[in-house]
Amino acid sequence: MSHIVRTTGLTKRYDRTLAVAGLDLDIAEGEIFGLVGPNGAGKTTILRILATLLVPSAGDAEIAGASVRRNPDAVRRVLGYMPDSFGVYDDMKVWEYLDFFGRCHGLPAARRRRVVADLLELVDLASKRDAYVQTLSRGMQQRLCLAHALVHDPQVLLLDEPASGLDPRARVELRELLRELRTLGKTIIISSHILPELEELCTSIAIIDRGRVLASGRLADIERRLRVGAVLRVRILGDGEAVEAARAWFERDPDVAAASVLDDGTVEIGFRGDDAGSARLLAEAISAGLRVITFARAASDLEELFLQVTAVDEPAASASGTAA
Amino acid sequence: MSATMGIAPGRSGRPLGRLGRSVGQRFGGIMAIGVKELRGRMRGRRAFVVLTVYLTLIAGVAWMIESIAERSMANSFGGSTNASAQIGQGIFAALLILEMVIVIVLAPSFTAGAISLEREKQTIDLLITTPISSLAIVLGKLFSALVYLFLVIVASVPLTALVFVYGGAGPEDLLKGYVVLLVTAFGLGSVGVFCSSLVKRTQPATVITYALVLLVTFGTGLVWVFWGSLGNQSSVISSQPQPADGSIAVNPVVAAPARPPEALLWLNPFVSIVDVFCGTETGFGGTCSIIATVTGRDPNLVQNGAGANFGGGAVAGPAPAQIVKGGVIVNGGGVLAPVPVPVAAAPGAAFGVAHDTFWPHAALAWLVVSFVLIVASVQLVSPTRRWRLGRPFRRVRATAAAAVSDPTTVPGADPGIGRDPAAAPDPETTPDVRPGPERAKEASS
Repeated sequence: MSHIVRTTGLTKRYDRTLAVAGLDLDIAEGEIFGLVGPNGAGKTTILRILATLLVPSAGDAEIAGASVRRNPDAVRRVLGYMPDSFGVYDDMKVWEYLDFFGRCHGLPAARRRRVVADLLELVDLASKRDAYVQTLSRGMQQRLCLAHALVHDPQVLLLDEPASGLDPRARVELRELLRELRTLGKTIIISSHILPELEELCTSIAIIDRGRVLASGRLADIERRLRVGAVLRVRILGDGEAVEAARAWFERDPDVAAASVLDDGTVEIGFRGDDAGSARLLAEAISAGLRVITFARAASDLEELFLQVTAVDEPAASASGTAA
Repeated sequence: MSATMGIAPGRSGRPLGRLGRSVGQRFGGIMAIGVKELRGRMRGRRAFVVLTVYLTLIAGVAWMIESIAERSMANSFGGSTNASAQIGQGIFAALLILEMVIVIVLAPSFTAGAISLEREKQTIDLLITTPISSLAIVLGKLFSALVYLFLVIVASVPLTALVFVYGGAGPEDLLKGYVVLLVTAFGLGSVGVFCSSLVKRTQPATVITYALVLLVTFGTGLVWVFWGSLGNQSSVISSQPQPADGSIAVNPVVAAPARPPEALLWLNPFVSIVDVFCGTETGFGGTCSIIATVTGRDPNLVQNGAGANFGGGAVAGPAPAQIVKGGVIVNGGGVLAPVPVPVAAAPGAAFGVAHDTFWPHAALAWLVVSFVLIVASVQLVSPTRRWRLGRPFRRVRATAAAAVSDPTTVPGADPGIGRDPAAAPDPETTPDVRPGPERAKEASS
């Protein structure tokens, strides 16, 4: 697979602080690549450099073979960018908004009309075509902003915290939309500190802290490399006694580090094994007569990973708060 | 869905196609911004309410001037031969000044938020990540603001044409007046856009723009008069022992160095307007004498300074009024031969009064200023170009420092300088010494 985005020694310095320190990333075509890191890790800076909004202090980045330093115009033509915080114009209707960006990209009138209609359909805003942009809800504006980034059918999409400020439903819709875009062959780079969101979506991630990549690659690879234990959540049919018995049974398993009963009666297990191990554990639990209702990996693998790698408690704690 | 996939960017390999696209893109960018801005501005009733109020105001003023002039003519004796022309000139002057005031008030308010509003609303990033150039952003913003302003100005043309009913000012005078208005609007608009891209927030940008406009319109006049008054003191003292050379009491040779430079007033739109009025005058009148004082071309004006030929002279605002005072005091280095002109000059008689001596310079000065400000704004808007601007400056300083130290040291004696990458004259580090336009052209391509 060819690498569509490649950074070499990418560095950005603001006065004293080093926002990005010698970043080397290779992102293959068609991937959904997640940039994960606590607030202030440099995610937004990296995306802004890729979007040609910032000039790197050192190093370079290439998108589809064009350098962000030497040929920003070529980069802009293959790139769709959705910033972290963005504004909308007053006095502008939804279709005019997309039409405007179509003009900016030099699309001829006929194609512009078609693209605007298609995109409104894609982001499910066709019914809001003639509404004023500032009257849309936050989630709709987010989708509109995503649509604006797609006007020129870019190869690469940069999405900076696309799900921030969205309610769970809008978030699910966004995720569906991104999957759809991936099937259209787009490479998507997405930054977030909301980890489970990326976990379900991304093919690869890079964990970033203080401008450095702490770990990168496919999620499974990183997990294996770091030997991170999983958290299993098991619900047992029965009263407190049965649950407590199950907890004791689980704790006797050699792969289980710890097992505890949560307030809602769920047994939470710190598990050292891999997927095969958890399958084995489930099979044994059932043959041992435990009446298992659900047996699932907690959605916080990435968080665990993240905590381990960054050893910064505060942002991850806030992330787990929003992850529910 | 599949249709969105079908919009792959067209890649024409033909050089002509590429050239056409690049030109089209530049123009299309300006158009894109312009269409967007105008859609917002013309939406709703606001734009048309402003226009209506403005036209009502203009019409009211024209009517008042007309009745004032008519009444004063009716009371005076002997002025009846050219009374109509004088009424026409009065209306012409009043309308032009009113329109200029409106341009001065509106142009900054339309443009001072052009870039800073985009920053405040965080929409500028979205613009910059599209292929349109920073030049297109700046020009699109400027032109769309000006288009509306021009609409306001042009809407007043029928009213101003009322002048033709009375005579006294020809179509060419009207044309000149509108050229001055448009150039001033363009210049002040550039000032607004520049402030807007320099200062990050709209409120300070607006304040700074208006401060600059006040400085240009009133400040320059004040400084000019002040400068002139300094010259007067010295010339009075030094001219006393010398005999008067013919017609004037003050020795022009002594007074000449003290005459404030004409360029000081080039950016003052009211002085340009006064020069346009001068074009309507047939003999020496109040306005031509002001211009002659400013340009220092006609030593005769002191005698004719109070010429009652031009009835609308009193409307010409505080700044020109001060200049008249300064003009009476200070005298220019006379280059023209003194022509004895009777105070009551017959209309139509040409006495060698030089028309259009000032405003073309002023218009040119505004265009140059606008150009510089637009180039500077483009530099400020573009995230990548701003950085490119910084580097040559640093290099110039570095190479200059190296050049200073080079002759004093034996070559090779101080290896530190030789190794300094900034001092090495390779093409990578030599400062960009090409003229600004060329650099701007390259930068925007």
